[in-house]
Amino acid sequence: MTTPHISSDLLGAIGGVPRPETDVVVDARDVNKFFGRLHVLKNVSLQVKRQETVVIIGPSGSGKTTFIRCVNHLEKIQSGRIFVNGHLIGYRETPAGRKLRIPGRGKNHAEGSTKLVEDKERNIAHQREEIGMVFQRFNLFPHMTAIENIIEAPMHVRGTSKDEAMVMGRALLERVGLAAKENVYPNQLSGGQQQRIAIARALAMKPALMLFDEPTSALDPEMIGEVLEVMKELAREGMTMIVVSHEMGFAREVANRVVMMDDGVVVEEGTPDQVFSSPTQERTRAFLSKIL
Amino acid sequence: MTLSLYRRYGTRRALLAGCLLFIALVAAGCSSDKPGAYNIRPQYFWDSLFNPSGAIVNGIGLTVGISVIAQFVGVVLGVFAAMGKMAKFLPFRFVANFYVWVFRGTPLLVQLMFFFYGLQAAQIFKWPIIVAGPIDILPEILAGIVILGVNEGAYMAEIVRAGILAVDPGQNEAAKSLGMTYGQTMRRIVLPQAARVIIPPLGNEFNNMLKTTSLLSLLSIFELYNTFSNLNASSLATFELFGACAVWYLLLTTIWGFVQARIEMRFARGTAVSNDGSDWGLRARLVGLRNNAGNQGH
Repeated sequence: MTTPHISSDLLGAIGGVPRPETDVVVDARDVNKFFGRLHVLKNVSLQVKRQETVVIIGPSGSGKTTFIRCVNHLEKIQSGRIFVNGHLIGYRETPAGRKLRIPGRGKNHAEGSTKLVEDKERNIAHQREEIGMVFQRFNLFPHMTAIENIIEAPMHVRGTSKDEAMVMGRALLERVGLAAKENVYPNQLSGGQQQRIAIARALAMKPALMLFDEPTSALDPEMIGEVLEVMKELAREGMTMIVVSHEMGFAREVANRVVMMDDGVVVEEGTPDQVFSSPTQERTRAFLSKIL
Repeated sequence: MTLSLYRRYGTRRALLAGCLLFIALVAAGCSSDKPGAYNIRPQYFWDSLFNPSGAIVNGIGLTVGISVIAQFVGVVLGVFAAMGKMAKFLPFRFVANFYVWVFRGTPLLVQLMFFFYGLQAAQIFKWPIIVAGPIDILPEILAGIVILGVNEGAYMAEIVRAGILAVDPGQNEAAKSLGMTYGQTMRRIVLPQAARVIIPPLGNEFNNMLKTTSLLSLLSIFELYNTFSNLNASSLATFELFGACAVWYLLLTTIWGFVQARIEMRFARGTAVSNDGSDWGLRARLVGLRNNAGNQGH
Protein backbone atom coordinates (compact mmCIF):
# COMPACT_ATOMS: atom_id res chain seq x y z
CA MET A 1 0.00 0.00 0.00
CA THR A 2 1.44 3.31 -1.05
CA THR A 3 1.27 6.19 1.36
CA PRO A 4 -1.30 8.65 0.07
CA HIS A 5 -0.28 12.17 -0.66
CA ILE A 6 -1.54 14.46 2.06
CA SER A 7 -1.49 18.07 0.99
CA SER A 8 0.53 20.52 3.01
CA ASP A 9 -2.27 23.07 2.79
CA LEU A 10 -5.20 21.14 4.21
CA LEU A 11 -7.04 24.07 5.69
CA GLY A 12 -6.66 26.00 2.46
CA ALA A 13 -9.55 23.89 1.23
CA ILE A 14 -11.89 25.55 3.70
CA GLY A 15 -10.46 29.03 3.30
CA GLY A 16 -7.72 28.94 5.89
CA VAL A 17 -7.55 28.23 9.58
CA PRO A 18 -10.94 28.81 11.22
CA ARG A 19 -10.57 31.62 13.70
CA PRO A 20 -12.02 30.82 17.12
CA GLU A 21 -13.67 33.79 18.81
CA THR A 22 -11.87 33.39 22.11
CA ASP A 23 -8.32 32.68 23.18
CA VAL A 24 -9.50 29.81 25.32
CA VAL A 25 -11.46 27.66 22.90
CA VAL A 26 -12.48 25.00 25.38
CA ASP A 27 -13.00 25.83 29.02
CA ALA A 28 -14.34 22.93 31.06
CA ARG A 29 -14.90 23.64 34.74
CA ASP A 30 -15.57 21.02 37.40
CA VAL A 31 -17.46 18.69 35.11
CA ASN A 32 -19.24 15.80 36.80
CA LYS A 33 -20.92 13.03 34.90
CA PHE A 34 -22.75 9.94 36.11
CA PHE A 35 -23.96 6.88 34.28
CA GLY A 36 -26.60 5.90 36.78
CA ARG A 37 -24.64 5.50 40.02
CA LEU A 38 -21.31 5.24 38.26
CA HIS A 39 -19.34 8.47 38.65
CA VAL A 40 -17.44 8.65 35.36
CA LEU A 41 -16.15 12.23 35.41
CA LYS A 42 -15.10 13.71 38.73
CA ASN A 43 -14.59 17.47 38.76
CA VAL A 44 -12.77 17.45 35.46
CA SER A 45 -11.39 20.84 34.46
CA LEU A 46 -9.52 21.42 31.25
CA GLN A 47 -8.64 24.42 29.13
CA VAL A 48 -7.61 24.30 25.50
CA LYS A 49 -6.18 27.43 23.95
CA ARG A 50 -6.48 28.55 20.39
CA GLN A 51 -4.40 26.47 17.94
CA GLU A 52 -3.45 24.07 20.67
CA THR A 53 -3.44 20.29 20.28
CA VAL A 54 -4.27 18.44 23.46
CA VAL A 55 -3.95 14.68 23.57
CA ILE A 56 -5.84 12.84 26.30
CA ILE A 57 -4.35 9.52 27.33
CA GLY A 58 -5.30 7.01 29.97
CA PRO A 59 -6.50 3.46 30.49
CA SER A 60 -9.86 2.42 29.03
CA GLY A 61 -12.76 3.31 31.26
CA SER A 62 -10.94 6.37 32.54
CA GLY A 63 -13.58 8.74 31.11
CA LYS A 64 -11.53 10.34 28.33
CA THR A 65 -13.99 9.44 25.55
CA THR A 66 -16.93 10.42 27.74
CA PHE A 67 -15.26 13.75 28.37
CA ILE A 68 -14.87 14.75 24.73
CA ARG A 69 -18.41 13.54 24.03
CA CYS A 70 -19.55 15.99 26.72
CA VAL A 71 -17.72 18.80 24.91
CA ASN A 72 -20.25 18.68 22.04
CA HIS A 73 -23.05 17.51 24.29
CA LEU A 74 -23.41 14.01 22.92
CA GLU A 75 -23.47 13.20 26.65
CA LYS A 76 -25.25 15.18 29.33
CA ILE A 77 -23.35 16.37 32.37
CA GLN A 78 -24.73 16.54 35.88
CA SER A 79 -22.75 19.52 37.10
CA GLY A 80 -20.04 21.91 36.01
CA ARG A 81 -19.77 24.06 32.91
CA ILE A 82 -18.24 23.52 29.50
CA PHE A 83 -17.64 26.59 27.38
CA VAL A 84 -16.58 26.34 23.76
CA ASN A 85 -15.73 29.56 22.00
CA GLY A 86 -17.24 31.38 24.95
CA HIS A 87 -20.63 29.63 24.68
CA LEU A 88 -21.96 27.44 27.46
CA ILE A 89 -22.50 24.08 25.78
CA GLY A 90 -25.81 22.25 26.09
CA TYR A 91 -27.29 24.21 28.96
CA ARG A 92 -28.80 27.46 30.09
CA GLU A 93 -28.21 28.75 33.57
CA THR A 94 -31.39 29.62 35.39
CA PRO A 95 -31.34 31.15 38.85
CA ALA A 96 -34.44 30.22 40.84
CA GLY A 97 -36.38 29.25 37.75
CA ARG A 98 -35.78 32.59 36.01
CA LYS A 99 -33.85 32.88 32.78
CA LEU A 100 -30.43 34.40 33.20
CA ARG A 101 -29.41 36.39 30.18
CA ILE A 102 -25.84 37.17 31.11
CA PRO A 103 -24.34 34.48 33.30
CA GLY A 104 -22.54 35.85 36.34
CA ARG A 105 -23.58 39.48 35.86
CA GLY A 106 -26.57 39.58 38.19
CA LYS A 107 -26.57 40.46 41.87
CA ASN A 108 -27.64 37.24 43.48
CA HIS A 109 -26.22 34.76 41.07
CA ALA A 110 -23.55 33.22 43.16
CA GLU A 111 -22.24 29.98 41.70
CA GLY A 112 -24.34 27.87 44.02
CA SER A 113 -27.65 29.58 43.29
CA THR A 114 -27.79 28.90 39.55
CA LYS A 115 -29.21 25.76 38.07
CA LEU A 116 -28.35 24.14 34.75
CA VAL A 117 -31.28 23.51 32.44
CA GLU A 118 -30.74 21.67 29.19
CA ASP A 119 -30.87 24.01 26.23
CA LYS A 120 -33.27 23.71 23.31
CA GLU A 121 -32.36 21.02 20.82
CA ARG A 122 -32.08 23.60 18.04
CA ASN A 123 -29.60 25.72 20.02
CA ILE A 124 -27.48 22.70 20.82
CA ALA A 125 -27.45 21.74 17.14
CA HIS A 126 -26.30 25.27 16.35
CA GLN A 127 -23.46 25.07 18.89
CA ARG A 128 -22.28 21.77 17.39
CA GLU A 129 -21.70 23.42 14.01
CA GLU A 130 -18.54 24.92 15.52
CA ILE A 131 -17.26 21.59 16.79
CA GLY A 132 -16.05 18.92 14.40
CA MET A 133 -15.98 15.36 15.64
CA VAL A 134 -14.23 12.28 14.30
CA PHE A 135 -15.34 8.92 15.63
CA GLN A 136 -13.54 5.68 16.30
CA ARG A 137 -15.80 3.85 13.86
CA PHE A 138 -15.88 6.64 11.23
CA ASN A 139 -19.71 6.75 11.06
CA LEU A 140 -19.76 7.87 7.44
CA PHE A 141 -23.27 7.90 5.99
CA PRO A 142 -23.39 4.62 4.04
CA HIS A 143 -26.14 5.73 1.66
CA MET A 144 -24.09 8.66 0.41
CA THR A 145 -20.97 8.82 -1.72
CA ALA A 146 -17.74 10.30 -0.38
CA ILE A 147 -18.49 13.74 -1.76
CA GLU A 148 -22.13 13.60 -0.65
CA ASN A 149 -20.97 12.80 2.88
CA ILE A 150 -18.81 15.91 2.85
CA ILE A 151 -21.28 18.39 1.34
CA GLU A 152 -24.31 17.16 3.34
CA ALA A 153 -23.88 19.35 6.41
CA PRO A 154 -22.53 22.48 4.67
CA MET A 155 -25.57 22.41 2.38
CA HIS A 156 -28.31 21.44 4.80
CA VAL A 157 -27.02 22.96 8.02
CA ARG A 158 -25.04 25.99 6.84
CA GLY A 159 -27.14 26.59 3.74
CA THR A 160 -24.15 26.70 1.40
CA SER A 161 -25.07 26.37 -2.27
CA LYS A 162 -24.38 23.03 -3.92
CA ASP A 163 -21.81 24.48 -6.32
CA GLU A 164 -19.86 26.10 -3.53
CA ALA A 165 -20.07 23.00 -1.36
CA MET A 166 -18.86 20.81 -4.23
CA VAL A 167 -15.83 23.02 -4.84
CA MET A 168 -14.90 22.86 -1.17
CA GLY A 169 -15.69 19.15 -0.96
CA ARG A 170 -13.47 18.33 -3.93
CA ALA A 171 -10.67 20.48 -2.54
CA LEU A 172 -10.90 18.63 0.78
CA LEU A 173 -10.96 15.21 -0.88
CA GLU A 174 -7.94 16.12 -2.96
CA ARG A 175 -6.03 17.32 0.07
CA VAL A 176 -6.66 14.15 2.04
CA GLY A 177 -5.44 12.22 -1.00
CA LEU A 178 -8.81 10.82 -2.11
CA ALA A 179 -9.76 12.89 -5.14
CA ALA A 180 -10.37 9.70 -7.13
CA LYS A 181 -12.90 8.40 -4.63
CA GLU A 182 -15.40 11.22 -5.01
CA ASN A 183 -18.30 9.05 -6.18
CA VAL A 184 -17.51 5.93 -4.21
CA TYR A 185 -19.72 4.67 -1.40
CA PRO A 186 -18.05 4.21 2.02
CA ASN A 187 -18.34 0.43 2.06
CA GLN A 188 -16.03 0.24 -0.93
CA LEU A 189 -13.28 2.11 0.90
CA SER A 190 -10.68 0.93 3.38
CA GLY A 191 -10.88 1.98 7.01
CA GLY A 192 -8.09 4.50 6.57
CA GLN A 193 -9.79 6.04 3.54
CA GLN A 194 -13.11 6.21 5.37
CA GLN A 195 -11.52 7.93 8.34
CA ARG A 196 -9.80 10.50 6.12
CA ILE A 197 -13.18 11.25 4.52
CA ALA A 198 -14.73 11.51 7.98
CA ILE A 199 -12.09 14.12 8.86
CA ALA A 200 -12.82 15.97 5.63
CA ARG A 201 -16.55 15.83 6.44
CA ALA A 202 -15.96 17.41 9.85
CA LEU A 203 -13.63 20.07 8.38
CA ALA A 204 -16.21 21.04 5.77
CA MET A 205 -18.17 22.76 8.55
CA LYS A 206 -15.14 25.02 9.20
CA PRO A 207 -15.16 24.16 12.89
CA ALA A 208 -13.32 26.18 15.50
CA LEU A 209 -12.47 22.98 17.31
CA MET A 210 -11.92 19.38 16.26
CA LEU A 211 -12.53 16.44 18.57
CA PHE A 212 -10.98 13.07 17.77
CA ASP A 213 -12.33 10.07 19.63
CA GLU A 214 -9.70 7.32 19.26
CA PRO A 215 -9.58 7.90 15.51
CA THR A 216 -7.12 5.12 14.78
CA SER A 217 -8.27 2.43 17.21
CA ALA A 218 -10.53 0.67 14.69
CA LEU A 219 -7.94 0.69 11.92
CA ASP A 220 -5.66 -2.03 10.63
CA PRO A 221 -2.07 -1.17 11.57
CA GLU A 222 -1.02 -0.32 8.01
CA MET A 223 -3.71 2.35 7.78
CA ILE A 224 -2.98 4.16 11.02
CA GLY A 225 -0.18 6.18 9.45
CA GLU A 226 -2.27 7.82 6.74
CA VAL A 227 -4.86 9.03 9.26
CA LEU A 228 -2.24 10.30 11.70
CA GLU A 229 -0.59 12.10 8.80
CA VAL A 230 -3.77 14.08 8.17
CA MET A 231 -4.10 14.89 11.87
CA LYS A 232 -0.48 15.99 12.16
CA GLU A 233 -0.96 18.27 9.19
CA LEU A 234 -4.05 19.80 10.80
CA ALA A 235 -2.14 20.41 14.03
CA ARG A 236 0.76 21.97 12.14
CA GLU A 237 -1.59 24.34 10.32
CA GLY A 238 -3.04 25.55 13.60
CA MET A 239 -6.34 23.73 14.07
CA THR A 240 -7.46 23.60 17.69
CA MET A 241 -7.79 19.92 18.56
CA ILE A 242 -8.57 17.53 21.40
CA VAL A 243 -7.46 14.01 20.60
CA VAL A 244 -8.22 10.92 22.63
CA SER A 245 -5.61 8.46 21.49
CA HIS A 246 -3.35 5.58 22.37
CA GLU A 247 -0.84 6.71 19.76
CA MET A 248 1.97 7.85 22.03
CA GLY A 249 4.22 8.59 19.08
CA PHE A 250 1.64 11.00 17.74
CA ALA A 251 1.22 12.61 21.16
CA ARG A 252 4.96 13.06 21.56
CA GLU A 253 5.36 14.58 18.13
CA VAL A 254 2.29 16.77 17.81
CA ALA A 255 0.73 17.52 21.17
CA ASN A 256 1.24 20.84 22.87
CA ARG A 257 -0.09 19.26 25.98
CA VAL A 258 -0.77 15.73 27.16
CA VAL A 259 -3.51 15.07 29.69
CA MET A 260 -3.48 11.84 31.65
CA MET A 261 -6.88 10.70 32.90
CA ASP A 262 -7.65 7.78 35.18
CA ASP A 263 -10.85 6.80 36.93
CA GLY A 264 -12.65 9.96 35.89
CA VAL A 265 -9.98 12.31 37.17
CA VAL A 266 -7.33 14.37 35.41
CA VAL A 267 -4.26 12.84 37.02
CA GLU A 268 -1.59 14.89 35.37
CA GLU A 269 -1.07 17.27 32.51
CA GLY A 270 1.93 18.85 30.90
CA THR A 271 4.05 18.97 27.78
CA PRO A 272 4.66 15.58 26.13
CA ASP A 273 8.22 15.70 27.46
CA GLN A 274 7.15 16.23 31.04
CA VAL A 275 4.45 13.58 30.97
CA PHE A 276 6.31 10.91 29.05
CA SER A 277 9.84 11.43 30.34
CA SER A 278 9.33 12.51 33.92
CA PRO A 279 5.77 11.85 35.06
CA THR A 280 5.12 13.06 38.58
CA GLN A 281 2.24 10.74 39.35
CA GLU A 282 2.49 7.04 40.12
CA ARG A 283 -0.64 6.26 38.08
CA THR A 284 0.86 7.91 34.99
CA ARG A 285 4.06 5.94 35.40
CA ALA A 286 2.12 2.69 35.78
CA PHE A 287 0.03 3.41 32.69
CA LEU A 288 2.98 4.42 30.55
CA SER A 289 5.03 1.40 31.58
CA LYS A 290 2.21 -0.82 30.34
CA ILE A 291 1.67 0.93 27.05
CA LEU A 292 5.19 1.88 25.96
CA MET B 1 -64.83 -33.96 -0.19
CA THR B 2 -63.04 -34.18 -3.52
CA LEU B 3 -63.98 -37.83 -3.67
CA SER B 4 -67.70 -37.14 -3.22
CA LEU B 5 -67.54 -34.46 -5.90
CA TYR B 6 -65.95 -37.00 -8.17
CA ARG B 7 -68.85 -39.41 -7.63
CA ARG B 8 -71.49 -36.76 -8.18
CA TYR B 9 -70.09 -34.74 -11.04
CA GLY B 10 -67.54 -36.84 -12.85
CA THR B 11 -63.93 -36.42 -13.76
CA ARG B 12 -63.84 -32.91 -15.11
CA ARG B 13 -65.36 -31.24 -12.04
CA ALA B 14 -63.20 -33.27 -9.73
CA LEU B 15 -60.01 -32.21 -11.50
CA LEU B 16 -60.97 -28.59 -11.26
CA ALA B 17 -61.72 -29.07 -7.59
CA GLY B 18 -58.25 -30.46 -7.16
CA CYS B 19 -56.71 -27.40 -8.80
CA LEU B 20 -58.94 -24.66 -7.41
CA LEU B 21 -60.59 -26.33 -4.46
CA PHE B 22 -62.06 -23.19 -3.00
CA ILE B 23 -63.61 -21.87 -6.20
CA ALA B 24 -64.94 -25.31 -7.03
CA LEU B 25 -66.66 -25.46 -3.67
CA VAL B 26 -68.35 -22.15 -4.34
CA ALA B 27 -69.53 -23.46 -7.70
CA ALA B 28 -70.69 -26.70 -6.14
CA GLY B 29 -72.57 -24.74 -3.52
CA CYS B 30 -74.36 -22.72 -6.19
CA SER B 31 -75.63 -25.79 -7.96
CA SER B 32 -76.02 -28.19 -5.08
CA ASP B 33 -79.80 -28.45 -5.14
CA LYS B 34 -79.98 -28.99 -8.90
CA PRO B 35 -77.13 -31.30 -9.82
CA GLY B 36 -75.72 -30.55 -13.23
CA ALA B 37 -77.70 -27.32 -13.67
CA TYR B 38 -74.63 -25.05 -13.46
CA ASN B 39 -73.59 -24.38 -16.99
CA ILE B 40 -70.12 -22.93 -17.32
CA ARG B 41 -70.05 -20.02 -19.73
CA PRO B 42 -66.34 -19.47 -20.41
CA GLN B 43 -66.90 -16.19 -22.24
CA TYR B 44 -67.66 -14.54 -18.86
CA PHE B 45 -64.20 -15.54 -17.71
CA TRP B 46 -62.30 -14.63 -20.85
CA ASP B 47 -64.21 -11.43 -21.53
CA SER B 48 -63.63 -10.21 -18.00
CA LEU B 49 -59.92 -10.64 -18.58
CA PHE B 50 -59.29 -9.75 -22.21
CA ASN B 51 -62.22 -7.56 -23.05
CA PRO B 52 -63.06 -5.99 -19.68
CA SER B 53 -66.05 -3.71 -19.46
CA GLY B 54 -65.70 -0.09 -18.38
CA ALA B 55 -66.96 -1.08 -14.95
CA ILE B 56 -64.12 -3.57 -14.49
CA VAL B 57 -61.49 -1.09 -15.67
CA ASN B 58 -62.97 1.43 -13.29
CA GLY B 59 -62.91 -1.09 -10.48
CA ILE B 60 -59.25 -1.85 -11.10
CA GLY B 61 -58.49 1.86 -11.14
CA LEU B 62 -60.28 2.38 -7.86
CA THR B 63 -58.60 -0.57 -6.21
CA VAL B 64 -55.13 0.58 -7.26
CA GLY B 65 -55.83 4.24 -6.56
CA ILE B 66 -57.30 3.67 -3.13
CA SER B 67 -54.55 1.19 -2.24
CA VAL B 68 -51.77 3.58 -3.20
CA ILE B 69 -53.23 6.56 -1.37
CA ALA B 70 -54.22 4.55 1.71
CA GLN B 71 -50.77 2.95 1.86
CA PHE B 72 -49.17 6.36 1.55
CA VAL B 73 -51.32 7.66 4.40
CA GLY B 74 -50.37 4.54 6.36
CA VAL B 75 -46.64 5.06 5.83
CA VAL B 76 -46.79 8.71 6.86
CA LEU B 77 -48.84 7.91 9.96
CA GLY B 78 -46.56 4.96 10.66
CA VAL B 79 -43.45 7.17 10.60
CA PHE B 80 -45.02 9.64 13.01
CA ALA B 81 -46.39 6.91 15.24
CA ALA B 82 -42.99 5.22 15.32
CA MET B 83 -41.27 8.48 16.27
CA GLY B 84 -44.02 9.06 18.83
CA LYS B 85 -43.41 5.66 20.36
CA MET B 86 -39.71 6.49 20.68
CA ALA B 87 -40.17 10.07 21.87
CA LYS B 88 -38.76 11.29 25.16
CA PHE B 89 -41.92 13.33 25.78
CA LEU B 90 -44.45 11.12 27.57
CA PRO B 91 -47.68 12.47 25.97
CA PHE B 92 -46.29 11.67 22.48
CA ARG B 93 -45.54 8.14 23.58
CA PHE B 94 -48.99 7.81 25.11
CA VAL B 95 -50.84 9.01 22.01
CA ALA B 96 -48.78 6.81 19.68
CA ASN B 97 -49.20 3.71 21.83
CA PHE B 98 -52.93 4.32 22.24
CA TYR B 99 -53.38 4.71 18.47
CA VAL B 100 -51.52 1.51 17.66
CA TRP B 101 -53.30 -0.35 20.45
CA VAL B 102 -56.79 0.59 19.22
CA PHE B 103 -56.30 0.10 15.50
CA ARG B 104 -54.36 -3.11 15.70
CA GLY B 105 -56.72 -4.47 18.33
CA THR B 106 -60.00 -4.17 16.43
CA PRO B 107 -61.07 -5.70 13.10
CA LEU B 108 -60.86 -3.47 10.04
CA LEU B 109 -64.41 -4.54 9.18
CA VAL B 110 -65.65 -3.15 12.48
CA GLN B 111 -63.63 0.04 11.99
CA LEU B 112 -65.24 0.55 8.58
CA MET B 113 -68.74 0.05 9.96
CA PHE B 114 -68.13 2.23 13.00
CA PHE B 115 -66.34 5.15 11.38
CA PHE B 116 -68.48 5.29 8.24
CA TYR B 117 -71.97 4.18 9.15
CA GLY B 118 -71.69 4.51 12.92
CA LEU B 119 -70.57 8.13 13.03
CA GLN B 120 -73.13 9.15 10.43
CA ALA B 121 -75.98 7.28 12.14
CA ALA B 122 -75.22 9.02 15.43
CA GLN B 123 -74.88 12.31 13.52
CA ILE B 124 -71.48 12.90 15.06
CA PHE B 125 -69.64 13.29 11.79
CA LYS B 126 -70.70 13.29 8.19
CA TRP B 127 -68.07 12.38 5.63
CA PRO B 128 -67.97 15.24 3.12
CA ILE B 129 -67.66 15.27 -0.65
CA ILE B 130 -64.26 16.60 -1.59
CA VAL B 131 -64.16 18.52 -4.84
CA ALA B 132 -60.68 18.09 -6.25
CA GLY B 133 -60.55 19.98 -9.52
CA PRO B 134 -62.51 18.09 -12.17
CA ILE B 135 -63.28 15.07 -9.97
CA ASP B 136 -65.40 14.70 -6.87
CA ILE B 137 -64.20 12.34 -4.18
CA LEU B 138 -67.31 10.69 -2.81
CA PRO B 139 -67.77 10.45 0.97
CA GLU B 140 -67.50 6.66 1.00
CA ILE B 141 -64.27 6.73 -0.98
CA LEU B 142 -62.80 9.38 1.28
CA ALA B 143 -63.85 7.37 4.32
CA GLY B 144 -62.47 4.19 2.78
CA ILE B 145 -59.08 5.78 2.12
CA VAL B 146 -58.88 7.37 5.55
CA ILE B 147 -59.93 4.29 7.50
CA LEU B 148 -57.70 1.95 5.51
CA GLY B 149 -54.83 4.42 5.87
CA VAL B 150 -55.27 4.92 9.60
CA ASN B 151 -55.55 1.17 10.14
CA GLU B 152 -52.43 0.61 8.03
CA GLY B 153 -50.52 3.27 9.96
CA ALA B 154 -50.88 1.27 13.15
CA TYR B 155 -49.17 -1.71 11.51
CA MET B 156 -46.57 0.46 9.77
CA ALA B 157 -45.64 2.03 13.11
CA GLU B 158 -44.00 -1.16 14.34
CA ILE B 159 -42.33 -1.78 10.98
CA VAL B 160 -40.90 1.74 10.86
CA ARG B 161 -39.79 1.56 14.49
CA ALA B 162 -37.91 -1.65 13.80
CA GLY B 163 -36.30 0.02 10.79
CA ILE B 164 -35.17 3.03 12.80
CA LEU B 165 -33.78 0.82 15.55
CA ALA B 166 -31.81 -1.13 12.95
CA VAL B 167 -29.78 1.98 12.02
CA ASP B 168 -26.41 2.20 13.78
CA PRO B 169 -26.65 4.74 16.65
CA GLY B 170 -23.32 6.11 15.42
CA GLN B 171 -25.17 7.53 12.41
CA ASN B 172 -27.35 9.59 14.68
CA GLU B 173 -24.31 10.86 16.57
CA ALA B 174 -22.41 11.71 13.41
CA ALA B 175 -25.37 13.71 12.11
CA LYS B 176 -25.80 15.50 15.44
CA SER B 177 -22.10 16.30 15.65
CA LEU B 178 -22.39 18.06 12.27
CA GLY B 179 -25.05 20.36 13.70
CA MET B 180 -28.09 18.63 12.23
CA THR B 181 -31.36 18.97 14.13
CA TYR B 182 -33.50 15.99 15.12
CA GLY B 183 -35.74 16.52 12.09
CA GLN B 184 -32.84 16.78 9.64
CA THR B 185 -31.14 13.76 11.17
CA MET B 186 -34.31 11.70 10.81
CA ARG B 187 -35.15 12.87 7.31
CA ARG B 188 -31.74 12.82 5.71
CA ILE B 189 -29.74 10.23 7.63
CA VAL B 190 -31.81 7.80 9.70
CA LEU B 191 -34.98 7.23 7.67
CA PRO B 192 -33.20 6.70 4.31
CA GLN B 193 -31.16 3.97 5.97
CA ALA B 194 -34.16 2.58 7.83
CA ALA B 195 -35.98 2.43 4.50
CA ARG B 196 -33.80 -0.47 3.40
CA VAL B 197 -35.08 -2.50 6.34
CA ILE B 198 -38.62 -1.18 6.06
CA ILE B 199 -39.23 -1.85 2.38
CA PRO B 200 -39.53 -5.67 2.33
CA PRO B 201 -42.26 -5.71 5.01
CA LEU B 202 -43.77 -2.60 3.44
CA GLY B 203 -44.08 -4.57 0.21
CA ASN B 204 -45.98 -7.22 2.11
CA GLU B 205 -48.24 -4.59 3.56
CA PHE B 206 -49.03 -3.10 0.18
CA ASN B 207 -49.72 -6.53 -1.25
CA ASN B 208 -52.19 -6.99 1.59
CA MET B 209 -53.62 -3.55 1.01
CA LEU B 210 -54.43 -4.32 -2.64
CA LYS B 211 -56.51 -7.26 -1.48
CA THR B 212 -57.95 -5.67 1.65
CA THR B 213 -59.60 -2.91 -0.40
CA SER B 214 -62.18 -5.58 -1.27
CA LEU B 215 -63.67 -4.91 2.17
CA LEU B 216 -64.68 -1.49 0.88
CA SER B 217 -67.55 -3.20 -0.94
CA LEU B 218 -69.16 -2.78 2.47
CA LEU B 219 -69.25 0.97 1.83
CA SER B 220 -70.78 0.42 -1.63
CA ILE B 221 -67.55 1.37 -3.35
CA PHE B 222 -67.32 -0.32 -6.73
CA GLU B 223 -63.72 -1.36 -6.55
CA LEU B 224 -62.56 -4.57 -8.19
CA TYR B 225 -64.32 -7.08 -5.93
CA ASN B 226 -67.60 -5.22 -5.70
CA THR B 227 -67.69 -4.74 -9.45
CA PHE B 228 -67.44 -8.48 -9.99
CA SER B 229 -69.91 -9.10 -7.20
CA ASN B 230 -72.30 -6.78 -9.00
CA LEU B 231 -71.77 -8.53 -12.35
CA ASN B 232 -72.41 -11.80 -10.59
CA ALA B 233 -75.71 -10.57 -9.26
CA SER B 234 -77.03 -10.06 -12.79
CA SER B 235 -75.42 -12.99 -14.58
CA LEU B 236 -74.98 -15.59 -11.83
CA ALA B 237 -71.79 -16.64 -13.60
CA THR B 238 -70.21 -16.94 -10.16
CA PHE B 239 -67.56 -19.48 -11.02
CA GLU B 240 -66.28 -17.71 -14.12
CA LEU B 241 -66.51 -14.18 -12.76
CA PHE B 242 -64.78 -14.73 -9.44
CA GLY B 243 -62.19 -16.84 -11.20
CA ALA B 244 -61.46 -13.84 -13.39
CA CYS B 245 -61.59 -11.54 -10.37
CA ALA B 246 -58.93 -13.64 -8.65
CA VAL B 247 -56.74 -13.46 -11.76
CA TRP B 248 -57.01 -9.67 -11.76
CA TYR B 249 -55.91 -9.49 -8.13
CA LEU B 250 -53.09 -11.91 -8.86
CA LEU B 251 -51.97 -9.73 -11.73
CA LEU B 252 -51.94 -6.61 -9.54
CA THR B 253 -49.97 -8.27 -6.75
CA THR B 254 -47.54 -9.79 -9.26
CA ILE B 255 -46.84 -6.44 -10.88
CA TRP B 256 -46.30 -5.00 -7.42
CA GLY B 257 -43.78 -7.75 -6.73
CA PHE B 258 -41.65 -6.52 -9.63
CA VAL B 259 -41.98 -2.89 -8.58
CA GLN B 260 -40.97 -3.80 -5.05
CA ALA B 261 -37.83 -5.57 -6.24
CA ARG B 262 -36.78 -2.42 -8.08
CA ILE B 263 -37.38 -0.23 -5.07
CA GLU B 264 -35.35 -2.55 -2.87
CA MET B 265 -32.44 -2.24 -5.29
CA ARG B 266 -32.67 1.50 -5.17
CA PHE B 267 -32.38 1.54 -1.40
CA ALA B 268 -29.54 -0.98 -1.32
CA ARG B 269 -27.09 1.80 -2.24
CA GLY B 270 -23.92 1.64 -0.22
CA THR B 271 -24.61 -1.81 1.20
CA ALA B 272 -23.03 -5.18 0.55
CA VAL B 273 -25.74 -5.98 -2.03
CA SER B 274 -24.53 -3.15 -4.21
CA ASN B 275 -20.95 -4.34 -4.14
CA ASP B 276 -20.97 -7.30 -6.50
CA GLY B 277 -19.37 -5.44 -9.36
CA SER B 278 -20.62 -5.95 -12.91
CA ASP B 279 -23.87 -7.65 -11.99
CA TRP B 280 -24.89 -4.62 -9.99
CA GLY B 281 -23.87 -2.32 -12.82
CA LEU B 282 -26.21 -4.06 -15.25
CA ARG B 283 -29.05 -4.20 -12.82
CA ALA B 284 -28.41 -0.64 -11.80
CA ARG B 285 -28.89 0.46 -15.37
CA LEU B 286 -32.00 -1.69 -15.78
CA VAL B 287 -33.66 -0.15 -12.76
CA GLY B 288 -32.57 3.39 -13.57
CA LEU B 289 -30.17 4.04 -10.72
CA ARG B 290 -28.31 7.27 -10.97
CA ASN B 291 -25.33 7.08 -13.26
CA ASN B 292 -22.28 8.77 -11.85
CA ALA B 293 -20.01 8.24 -14.84
CA GLY B 294 -20.48 11.81 -15.99
CA ASN B 295 -19.20 13.32 -12.78
CA GLN B 296 -15.77 11.77 -12.71
CA GLY B 297 -13.91 14.58 -14.39
CA HIS B 298 -11.32 15.00 -11.65
